[in-house]
Amino acid sequence: MCYICREEEHHDQPVEPPVAWVHPCNCTLVAHESCLLSWIQSSQQDASRAPNALKCPQCGTIYELESYNPRTLRFLNKLNSVVSMAGKVVTVAGVSCVIASFGFGVYIILTSYGAYAVQEFLGKDFDLVLTEDPSNWPWHAFINLPLVPVSLIISRTPLFEGFPLVPLFLAWTTSPPVQTTERLMTARWRRAMTSGADTPWGPLINWPPSPLMVTFLYPFVTKLYRRYFRRFQHWVMGTEPSTGTTVRRYVWALNDDRNLQVQVDVNALPAREEGQQQQGRPQGNEEQQEVDPNGEEQEAELPQDPAAVAERTIRVTSASLGRFVGGALLIPKISNWMGAILFRLSKYSPLLRRFLAIRPPRTGAPEVFGKWFDSQPWSQMSVARQLGVGVHMALSVVGGGTKTFAECDPVWWRNSVGLGIFVLAKDCVNLLHLYLTKREIETRRVKSRSFEGVDIKELDLLNPPQNPAALPLPTVA
Amino acid sequence: MAVSSRRLQKELTEIKTAGTPCGITLLKADDFQTWFLSLEVLGESQYKGEVFALMFRFDPQYPISAPAVQFVVDDKYKAPLHPHVYSNGHICASILGGEWSPVLSVIAVCITLQSMLASCKEKKRPPDNDRYVAHAPDNPKKTRFVYHESDSAAAP
Repeated sequence: MCYICREEEHHDQPVEPPVAWVHPCNCTLVAHESCLLSWIQSSQQDASRAPNALKCPQCGTIYELESYNPRTLRFLNKLNSVVSMAGKVVTVAGVSCVIASFGFGVYIILTSYGAYAVQEFLGKDFDLVLTEDPSNWPWHAFINLPLVPVSLIISRTPLFEGFPLVPLFLAWTTSPPVQTTERLMTARWRRAMTSGADTPWGPLINWPPSPLMVTFLYPFVTKLYRRYFRRFQHWVMGTEPSTGTTVRRYVWALNDDRNLQVQVDVNALPAREEGQQQQGRPQGNEEQQEVDPNGEEQEAELPQDPAAVAERTIRVTSASLGRFVGGALLIPKISNWMGAILFRLSKYSPLLRRFLAIRPPRTGAPEVFGKWFDSQPWSQMSVARQLGVGVHMALSVVGGGTKTFAECDPVWWRNSVGLGIFVLAKDCVNLLHLYLTKREIETRRVKSRSFEGVDIKELDLLNPPQNPAALPLPTVA
Repeated sequence: MAVSSRRLQKELTEIKTAGTPCGITLLKADDFQTWFLSLEVLGESQYKGEVFALMFRFDPQYPISAPAVQFVVDDKYKAPLHPHVYSNGHICASILGGEWSPVLSVIAVCITLQSMLASCKEKKRPPDNDRYVAHAPDNPKKTRFVYHESDSAAAP
């Protein structure tokens, strides 16, 4: 009996026409040759059965096949597998090329935005540190610039507050002015004119403080600002400060088209209407610009649901996402504008001028650091003196900034101050919005209408009066 | 077409004459496309007293190609709680995939599944049951099961 088709053939009753039988292995299984060949062929095609294709299912003996397998066929098979391997390599290379070029494009966009942002923030005078031509950039520019837009956006989330801007400022404040060929030539031309005694760094203590100092102080300033502004906000809105439940969930509602109104939970208002002590509902149930002075996310509390009350939701719609990212990227431009406004205002006030430390734009050529170094008699100085000079140099860079920063018109300083003023103004405007919204909700009253033309029997009254005109307003029902 | 019909005819004749093993009964075999058999695990086991139903679907290349076998899940029957059986009735068994060979038959598959249930130590679902059932195809042969010794996983 063939184990595949289960057809039986008896020894004394041969089938016409005769079919070939085969006994390919050590056990008692026999099969029609055609059945077995079609089984082998079909299981070789199937990936899951291919390893067992040539094995007997009962005893495991390997079947042996004979076929017409000339050299040409074997050669062609081998050629086919080699070309397939090459094809695999090409696929991998192609896909990685596409991904790399995509990444490169993104990198270029980020870097050019970073260069634009640095220029806006530091002012046109800072052509010294970053010129138009990328081939003149110091090496760290290529790492720092693409990080600029990323860190601007991240600095608006509650996670990283001052941190990502630090690497940017660190690099820039300590770098010497960029050497262009043009500047090298003018420097050589002027070498005779400048005195060699000029040190390449600025004075130790300087106003405005060096960018390095500003960078270190920035996180403290922002924390203090936020803490006091939050207190102020709670005082204005009359709420209790929250117990600090963290944001628990993000609701992604990118298709939400409704203009999400600023939401204020009525239950959090001082309970004058209830005539009781103010409820200690311990979460800031109102809409809070909680994230950051520039934060835009709307926290939509669900006032009715007590479980959700303890949980904060952040609702991300297509509008709020755009405001968040767009606002972050606009920061350099805004600070530039504010700086320009402050500059104009400073014409009227000498006190402002001193605070902003406005100086005329730099006319001299930037000092070449190496030249000064060579001019000092290092070999004649003792070790202690060398150390002293080195420490002095480092401290002055920290305190006063490199000579570039010390002598130039500190556009960046008034830009920073302007940005701070802008942030404060924006927070105040937001607070005003919240306050007015709260007032609007508090002063809502529903208008009643008279009962003319209403059938008295339709109303749900306890003691229906006989005279419809006797219905006072409002009615008890 | 003829091959699968002839073979199934022979199997059916054998069932009708020699009967089915203990715990297995033929429920329905009207055509050569779909058969139903009932399965019960006898003796002391985790599944004592539970009756299951198996559905066999044959294609024209049977027995060269394996049948599609799954537990029936409807009002009357449920899928057994076993680490190799998904809640939609699909079974992860090597003999239904890579280890299928024409020497097996419908009764042989039933006996193998019966012993698979009988040797089960812990009644639980496969670890990726929910994920698999959410995206499972109608025919379990379309799933590429990964066979392990102790537990199983499916990669559709």
